[in-house]
Amino acid sequence: MPPARDIMAHRGDDDEVCPVCKSSRYLNPDMRFLINPECYHKMCESCVDRIFSSGPANCPVAGCHKTLRKNRFRKQTFEDINVEREVDIRRRVMQILNRREEEFDSKRAYDDFLEQREEIIANLVHGTDVAKTESDLQRYAADNMRSIRANQALEAQEASSFREQQTHEQELARLRREAARLEYENERKEMLAGREDVLSRLAAGRPGDAAAIAREGHKVLLKKSSARRSEEDRIRQKQAALRNSDARKAGQGALTTADRADDSGDSGLIKGLKKIKTPEPEKPYDPFGGLIPNKRDYYTLRDHYPNSYLDPIRQDTRMQAGGYDLQEYYSRTLMEAFAGLGCFIDEEVSKREVTSTMGISRPVATQGAALAAVSSAGAPEASS
Amino acid sequence: MIEDEIYRSSSQFRLWSFTEASLKQLRATTNSVASDRVRAALRRAQDARRSATSSTTGTPAPGSDAENKAAEDKQIECLTPEEEQQVVDYYSEQIIQLGENYKPPLPTIVRATAIQYLRRFYLTNSPMTYHPKQIMPCALFLATKTDNYYLSLRQFAEGVPGQTSADDIIAPEFLVMQSLRFTFDVRHPFRGLEGGIMELRAISQGQGQPAPHLQPSQTPEDLRRALLSLSPSSATANTMNDRISRAHHSTREILKAAAQITDAYFLYTPAQIWLSAFLLADRPLAEFYLDTKLGGPIISSSSTNHDQNPLYALRTKLLTTLANCSALLQAYKPFASDEARMKTLKRIVGKKLYHCQNPEKANIAGQKRIPAAAAAAAAAAAAAGESGTSESEMERLAKKRKLERGSETKDLFGGELVTQRTKERQMEGDQQQ
Amino acid sequence: MAVSPLVPHASSVAASSSNAGNKFENDSGINPPNKTKRSSSPQRMKNPDREITEQLNDDVRHKYIKDKKLGEGTYAVVFLGHLRTDPSSFVAIKKIKVNAEYKDGLSMDAIREVKYLQELSHPNIIALHDVFSSKDQNLNLVLEYLPRGDLEMLIRDSNIHYGAADVKAWMGMLARGVWFCHENYILHRDIKPNNLLVAADGEVKLADFGLARSFADPYLNMTHQVITRWYRPPELLFGARQYSGAVDVWSMGMVFAELLLRVPFVAGNSDLDQISKICEAFGTPTEENWPGVTRLPNYIPADPNHIVPLQGRDFFLRQFPTAGPVGADLLMSMCTLDPRKRGTACQILQHGWWLAEPKPTKKQDLPRKVGGTKKMGDDLTRRGGELDDTSFKNAARQLDFGAARD
Repeated sequence: MPPARDIMAHRGDDDEVCPVCKSSRYLNPDMRFLINPECYHKMCESCVDRIFSSGPANCPVAGCHKTLRKNRFRKQTFEDINVEREVDIRRRVMQILNRREEEFDSKRAYDDFLEQREEIIANLVHGTDVAKTESDLQRYAADNMRSIRANQALEAQEASSFREQQTHEQELARLRREAARLEYENERKEMLAGREDVLSRLAAGRPGDAAAIAREGHKVLLKKSSARRSEEDRIRQKQAALRNSDARKAGQGALTTADRADDSGDSGLIKGLKKIKTPEPEKPYDPFGGLIPNKRDYYTLRDHYPNSYLDPIRQDTRMQAGGYDLQEYYSRTLMEAFAGLGCFIDEEVSKREVTSTMGISRPVATQGAALAAVSSAGAPEASS
Repeated sequence: MIEDEIYRSSSQFRLWSFTEASLKQLRATTNSVASDRVRAALRRAQDARRSATSSTTGTPAPGSDAENKAAEDKQIECLTPEEEQQVVDYYSEQIIQLGENYKPPLPTIVRATAIQYLRRFYLTNSPMTYHPKQIMPCALFLATKTDNYYLSLRQFAEGVPGQTSADDIIAPEFLVMQSLRFTFDVRHPFRGLEGGIMELRAISQGQGQPAPHLQPSQTPEDLRRALLSLSPSSATANTMNDRISRAHHSTREILKAAAQITDAYFLYTPAQIWLSAFLLADRPLAEFYLDTKLGGPIISSSSTNHDQNPLYALRTKLLTTLANCSALLQAYKPFASDEARMKTLKRIVGKKLYHCQNPEKANIAGQKRIPAAAAAAAAAAAAAGESGTSESEMERLAKKRKLERGSETKDLFGGELVTQRTKERQMEGDQQQ
Repeated sequence: MAVSPLVPHASSVAASSSNAGNKFENDSGINPPNKTKRSSSPQRMKNPDREITEQLNDDVRHKYIKDKKLGEGTYAVVFLGHLRTDPSSFVAIKKIKVNAEYKDGLSMDAIREVKYLQELSHPNIIALHDVFSSKDQNLNLVLEYLPRGDLEMLIRDSNIHYGAADVKAWMGMLARGVWFCHENYILHRDIKPNNLLVAADGEVKLADFGLARSFADPYLNMTHQVITRWYRPPELLFGARQYSGAVDVWSMGMVFAELLLRVPFVAGNSDLDQISKICEAFGTPTEENWPGVTRLPNYIPADPNHIVPLQGRDFFLRQFPTAGPVGADLLMSMCTLDPRKRGTACQILQHGWWLAEPKPTKKQDLPRKVGGTKKMGDDLTRRGGELDDTSFKNAARQLDFGAARD
């Protein structure tokens, strides 16, 4: 960032003299300096008007050939022009790389993303690899338009709800102060009234009663103030609960709107984003739970097989009446004729001895876990 | 194939299927563990005896002790894994015989289940630890229960020859179940054979249904014609029927014996076993049947996409597997028809096994049936010190073994099935007096 | 069933040189690492009783930790347990008292339950994760933990309201479980609401396989003394010895009817009474509507003056309006007297009712009841197929905590 460094070197004078027209603040106390984020060369307002009013033009600073537009000139926020520039870059990058923590698979992935973003910012600030970094950024911006917009909207919403919450809290604080003031006044009034009451009673009564009357008056006061205090407590609790529920509501709002708008699971540039699950359309109910009834690969089951051994059964009305079903026998014998024909123990068993996983399988799953478990425990030695 | 997936969920596939190498390794491990234990147990028995004698006759000369030890160690000659297998094979055959003792004889499938129980049991146990004489009847009784052929224990005991009591039979039941890892289901090839035969008969009558993936290319009539033109060609459906019956019968015989008494169940699936046996019984018929399932050998014209055709790959692999299984089944010879083998067996069981039986495991009934009592006894023995009661019993056993060496080889198979340790112990006590 | 493997474990031993035996003993990580047998503690010297099978068993046993007792019956005790490695993974451990009173070794109930559950793996069948033995030769079945009670509980609880969509969901899960059993050629033979347990996620699981057996072999007699009476089909009441999957389908029909009515549909107080109640409800079996029925061993000729005609579709629709016309049709096919005309489990699932409105409730939205844990303990301690002769079923299996033995 050579231009910035130049500027930095003459900073002291620049406050007073426009580097372009050399007019000085001394002569013109109203003079205002402006910068353009293209090159961050500072010049006075009248120079800007003069040079850029008729359209884009080159920066008048010697050696800087950036084309500048008038509408992009603005006032400097930070005294240090380097900071100004970095903040601009940061703002721009963060507007594009605006992924949120909840979009990542893990905290780790999010941290990696933050690091990556810092690196990109640093690259742009320090001018390393600018061309590539810029093009990456542009490509990302183009590819992830929807997600960027959605997250921007979310941020805006959060910011506004934060503001709302702040004003709400301020309002509450004001109300609390008001209440405290009122309370104090009430207390004072009551105390005065009580004192007057005691005085009038003393005036009316016999002198011997004075102590008793004073004691009584004090008691009444205490009672009143303790009742008031518990009432205040209740109100305070109520308010606290209200605040909490408000906060919770806000949180929920954020969560529900945080649903991803972008479906491109991996953005190319950023790794570790959660795969976006578009809710699957509800499948029709499958009474068989995913299994296919009567599916056979080695044979086609018939309704009848000639078999003299079974003929007596076909004639035996008693067996028939009991429900004995030859179809079940056909089905079973043929199933057993082929179940495992294509299981090559030699291959599969040696495979399961090698492909061992961790020691113990959770007993939650069924067949898959059972198979996995069979090939587990102590197997590392088996391969030796 | 869906049928294969179904088989993969069976406990037989999950727990009781092995490669040849893993089977061998497992047996070697079992053998070496058991041998170590037998040696240790016999040594303990000896030490106990020695300390007992030394306490009565005074201190023996130092040095002779060590010599004795070395000599004894040499004497304790354990079975090799191969010898153990011979023993198990023999008792597997005995189960078939034992099943004949009942009226009606026990169903083939019950006996087959029992044999597989016995074989599974001796994958992780050694005959040196538990004598098959004791385990065999228990395995058979357990099979009657798990295969729905229920006899009461009393009824069952009546069929077991010798003085084996019901308690002797049931004593190792829990031990057997534990060794079976509480899986009782055995998938046999018998029912599959029936299915295949049934389908072949249907084909011979023109009612054969081609396999789903070959549906459009074959009709029942094609299948029938192809079957009837098999070499040696049989002209009519009737002769074909007879041929199927013959093949059915001889396949079944192979399944009843060879398939049981070899490692077939550990190495192959039931579907592969029956088809391998069928190949031995009638190769052309079996090959024809396989072709109806997997398509015939690919003709050269369509050879371009051999490798892409999954059916072709399956067929190639399957034929190798079936050939291996057939060879295994064919190599089986029953003990009765193999004099040399019988002779070796007699040597193994009669002499060697007799001397390397683990004395601490002899009395299963005492050990396993009343565990509390056994624990109490063990505690008492521990309290009494090294020369406790159980030790001295072991010592006597070992001694008795020496005395009676070689004299008892003939009576080992037929007679009493369960070792009568207690009786022997009494006898031996008499001798010693 | 997750079982630690035979070979890998054993081979790890074989791989380690000559004193494989020693390695094996120390290999489990349970025993303190004694390097050699001879230098080990005195008890180990005394009790070198860890055979390979025992070691394998220990490996399984030490995977689980027993927590509290959930229930106890004469036949079994059920504990809540969890995986040692993961305290949040609950299991139910059913400890069967082996030496209870049965002198012929392990009882048939236990054998059947273990045998068949070892082979079945389906979302609607209670999963058997492991089996191991504990001291005193007790058999421990590590079962899936089903904390939400059973269907009977839901049916009886008048505070729980449910509708046709819920019934459809439950029936669908039941029918899938039964179908899967039959696909594996296993009859359950004791289907009833209190054998249908509910998992934490609402899935219904078929439990208690103490009366199960494999079927389909010709000429093999099976016992007709199975299935709790109210759910027992007429062919078994008539003493049929050769029967089919249709027996379970009848029971399913009875469960269906009970879910709709919220009381048992045909609840006889004896086998004879059961037959007559069935006749009254569905019609009198005759040679016309059920060929061969008169030849069944225990057939009782009907009173010729009181022949109830076979009930038609309109009867079912009238009796079970909540099921709707399609549902009534399905129920009718489950409750057909002649077992050969009854639908098979597969045909039941192919029925149009499942796809008709209303859609079955999603399992997570099904009505639920708390306190099912004790119920599971209760259900699992019952002896398989216990035929409750007492008028109301729960009375027969009061918990017997006083008689706790271990």
